[in-house]
Order: sequence, then structure tokens, then C-alpha cells
Amino acid sequence: MTAPSTPPPAVRFAAVRKRYGDTVAVDGVSFDVARGEFFSILGPSGCGKSTTLRLLAGFERPDEGEIHLNGDRIDGRRPWERPLAMVFQSYALFPHLSVERNVAFGLERRKLPRTEIETRVRRALELVRLDPGAFGRRSPRHLSGGQRQRVALARALVLEPPVLLLDEPLGALDQKLRKEMQVELRALNRQLGITFVYVTHDQEEALAMSDRVAVMTDGRLAQVGTPVEVYERPRTAFVAGFLGEANLLAGDDGARLAVRPEWMEILRPDTPLSSGAVARAGEVRDVVYLGERARAVVRLESGEDVVVALPPRSAAGGRGGWRPGDRAVVAWRPGDARALEEEP
Amino acid sequence: MAPRRRAGARGGALRRRALGWLAGHDRARAWALLAPGTLWLVAFFLVPVGIMAAYSVMERGTYGGVVPDFTLAAYARFFDPLYLRILARTIWLAVLTTTLCLVIGYPMAWAIAGAGRWKHALLLLVVVPFWTSFLVRTYAIMFLLRDTGLVNSALLSLGVIDTPLTLLFTPGAVLAGLVYGYLPFMILPIYASLDKLDPALLEAAESLGARPAARFLRVALPLSLPGVVAGSLLVFVPSLGAFLTPDLLGGARQVMIGNLVQQQFGAARDWPFGAAASFVLMGVVLAAVYAFLRRGAALPEEV
Repeated sequence: MTAPSTPPPAVRFAAVRKRYGDTVAVDGVSFDVARGEFFSILGPSGCGKSTTLRLLAGFERPDEGEIHLNGDRIDGRRPWERPLAMVFQSYALFPHLSVERNVAFGLERRKLPRTEIETRVRRALELVRLDPGAFGRRSPRHLSGGQRQRVALARALVLEPPVLLLDEPLGALDQKLRKEMQVELRALNRQLGITFVYVTHDQEEALAMSDRVAVMTDGRLAQVGTPVEVYERPRTAFVAGFLGEANLLAGDDGARLAVRPEWMEILRPDTPLSSGAVARAGEVRDVVYLGERARAVVRLESGEDVVVALPPRSAAGGRGGWRPGDRAVVAWRPGDARALEEEP
Repeated sequence: MAPRRRAGARGGALRRRALGWLAGHDRARAWALLAPGTLWLVAFFLVPVGIMAAYSVMERGTYGGVVPDFTLAAYARFFDPLYLRILARTIWLAVLTTTLCLVIGYPMAWAIAGAGRWKHALLLLVVVPFWTSFLVRTYAIMFLLRDTGLVNSALLSLGVIDTPLTLLFTPGAVLAGLVYGYLPFMILPIYASLDKLDPALLEAAESLGARPAARFLRVALPLSLPGVVAGSLLVFVPSLGAFLTPDLLGGARQVMIGNLVQQQFGAARDWPFGAAASFVLMGVVLAAVYAFLRRGAALPEEV
């Protein structure tokens, strides 16, 4: 990693802190983003993820720490001096300019020749699958949410920035459009080789698109890893609970354990167990049918409630299905119970 | 009492039926809402303007008033270079006033819009002068500017000057008074449009490489143009018709068209000429408003 031939990371945060009065919004955050990586910062609202992105964009200055871009320290530079582009949550399209002029805005600031601007604007609109002939002269006010989203993306991508910042860009779109855009954003990231730093509160979105996810809470990074790592091996109770569902149980040695519902099995009391499995007896309190999946809430004899995955059909009623009041045994492999670290 | 009560009950039913009918008829309801204001404007604006229009094409009476004979003499008289100069000076002063109000008012509106929790207190300070009469405030400016006024006594006692400066009854005094008087009308609409400006648009401009100058000229200014146009109209139009400020601060030599009109209806007793002059003024105002609004409507949609 430290060999001189290795290029520096696209983005490096080193012990960055940002305070607003008495509140610490970003509390000593450090991470590296590799070139071309799709890096997501995931967390609930108020966790500091947007401030982190604003620090990177230059709209905020850190109180402590350093921010580097491709090896250059940038935390002292003004936003217009940073080779970055950003897609805003509200899109922030200029309402007084046509789609074309919006996309051309950054190129015009760079004083490029008019013919080059025109070519690149057209290419950028085509890249986000908007017909330049049909949309170029329209006002952004007369576009749908999905079309505005694409214009905002084109306006940022046309600059061919080494790093693209995206602040919850899909938040205002409906479910179906959001899924389509997730696929497209991922494809653009691969195709263009641009590093994406993506802020979201939607864990499914982060898991679906990212090479790596940084889970943030209370101004700190709780865990950074691939989607599989953070989901399968959550380090803290917060990560386990924020990404998907997790049952938090007390282990034999007093440690806290996280077991995901789909790692558990629910059995009738007299069913033989597979060897080595941990089993706890209890009573079904509720059965929830969710279409593609189903959940049973089981109260164990210890008094703890656990959520267990069911085959959806066995929650849909009928013969052999689970009902509230049924006696049950909940079983899991000891290796699937993740020991959690204490949170700072 | 019984018949009256019955009549009252019938009146109530009638009223209910009338209101019910109005509720069902959008157009009738719109007329009902418009009627009081329309009547007011017809009685106290359209009728007087009609009278003025009639007077402007009549002969003057010897002791004021008019003689009902048709003539365009009053309008012809306005083309005397003396009066054209007054018209030109009026337009020039109004343009200067508007420009100065814009130059002073825009940065103030910008600062107020960005003042966070102080914004409402600052806005209040902008409108505080309206709590007292414009006449009183203009007299106060006279006390400030006259030969024995505050400015001259201060400069004299500091030894900066030996003899008092002539400040009052100059074009500068009129301009200062007009700018002072109309500045709030420039600040308020510009503030309103800047306050609506989404800060993310300015950040978007920055992240796209716009330095502060480009950020202002390409984003903030065009988006606040509706406020600039509204403010300019609110300053320019009353400046054209001002008569109190030039009268008190300009004296006899800095006559504006408003003073000319006032003189014709007063001391000069030439009502047709006064009416004609005020119609010329109205023509200038309408032309200016038309030009402003065309420009204002064209700009925010720039493509």
C-alpha cells in the first residue's frame, strides 16, 4: 500500500473534525477512497454524513484534520478551486437557464471554446440518456423529477471530474425510478472510471451500488467495509441494527451477540436439531407476511423477543403454517452469531 | 310583531338563497368581490382623470378654471424648450435616483437576506421611517443641509471650511432627498427575491467552478431580477412625479414636472396647461413601465 509507485487514494480524510458551537458534527473521521471506487456514506439523518460531503466539497472548513484529493491537500481550498463535481439532493438546477446552459455552466467557467462546450454538452446529455434535441432548450422547470435528476448528473459529469459527490440524489424519486437510477449510476461509475462518493440514509441503496460502505453514527464511522462485510459481520449493535434486521442476544460469556433473522430457523418443539446448533424454546407472538419474505416474532423463555425469517408461504395461513400461540424452537449455528464490540 | 318577524325570516331566506347562488356562480362571486374596489377606483381615479383629460384640451379661464372650448394649445405650449428642459431634468433625476437606490439598496437587501436571525429586525429598521410623515422627514433634511445646519456648523467648527457650503437648494440636495425617500421601495422587493433564492443554487455554482463574481452575475443577479425590476419601478415612477422633495430641497431653481403641475393649478391658474403637463408625465410613466416590464418578463426566462 505504501509503495511509492502506488497512486495516492482519490479521497483521504485524516482525523477530520467539524464543530458547530457545542455540537460535534464530524468527530475525527478518517477514511480512504480508492480511485474509481463507488464509496457510500450511510447513516441516519443528523449522523454527520452530509457535513462530511460538504467538507469534501468545500462548503464547510474542517476545524481539525486534513482532506486530500489525489494526494493534494485541499481542505484549505475554496469550492471553486477543487476539481470535484456534485449532484445535490434538490438537484439545484438553475431555473433561469435552459437544460443546455445548465450543463454548459461549468465548462463556461473554464473558458473553453464554444464548439467544444457544445460537443461536450451534447455528449453529457446523451450519457444520461436525455435527447439533446428534445431537451436542450427546455427549462428545467418543465421537467419531471427523473429528468431533472439526469440533467443534474449531466451537469456534473460533463466536467469529467476525478471525483463525483452525490448527496442523496435519488431521495425524491419514486421506488421504481430509484431502482433504475441505481443501476445506471453504478454503470456510469464503472464506465467512466470516476470515483463516486455517495451519501444516503437508504441501506438497500448503499448495499446495492457500493464497492464499500462507511456506516456513520454520531459523527463517527462505525464500520467501513464491502456491503457483504458490513452486513454479514457488523462490528457494533448500531451497524447490525441499521443495516437490515438483527436480533441482539446476550451470549453465555456475557458478550452481546447479533443474529440476523434469516440466519435463524424456526422449528416445531419435537424436531431433531442439526448437530452443534444453538436452540432456544419459546412461543410465537406474531407472524408478519411481507410478500417476498415473512417474519415471526418469538418470545423466548428468557423473556427476549427474537425476529425469525419464515418461508413466506408458511406465514400466509393454511395447513402447516405458523400462528401466534404456537410453541416453537429457534435454532442457529453458533458461527452465525456475531460478537459485537462495545460502542464508543 | 308577528308580520315583521315573518318578513325578517323571509329576508334571511332570501339572503341565504342569494349567498347560495353566489357560491354556485364563480363569475358572479368574482364580480361581488371586485365591486367595492372597482367602484372606489372609478369614483376617485377614473372620473378625476377623465376630468383632467377634458380640462387639458380646453381654454384657460381668466381667473382659473376652464372655458369649454376645444384646443390643443396647452399641449403645444409644453414643447417650449423651457418645459422640455424641465421634463428632461425630471427624467434625468428619476433615472439617477433609481440608479443610486439600486446601487445602495441591492447590497443592503443582500446583507439583510443573509442576516439569519437578525433579518426581521433589520427589515423593521428599513420601514421605520414610514412611521413618521414624509414632510417632517424632508424638513429634517433641510435643517441638516441649510447654511446654518448641522453639516455646515460641524465643518465650520472643525475648521475644515471658512464659509458655509451651499448644500440646500441644489440638484444634489434634491437627489439626496429622493434617494433617501424611495430607498425602502428598492430594498424590500429585492430582499423578497433574494430571500427566496435557494442557497444550494449558489453552492452548485461554486462547485461548478464559479468564483464569487461569476456566482453573483450568472446566478444570484438573474434570479433576483424580478425584485430589481419591481423595485426600480416603485422608485422610478414616484420620482418622476415628485414635487414635495424638489420644492423643499430644490427651491425655485430645481423645478421638476410635479412642481410645474402644482404651480399651474395654484399660483399660475392655468388649469389646462397643468392638466396637459400631468398627461405628458403619465405618458412618460406608461412608456417607462412598459419598457421595464417587457425587460423584466423577458429576462428570467433567458434561454
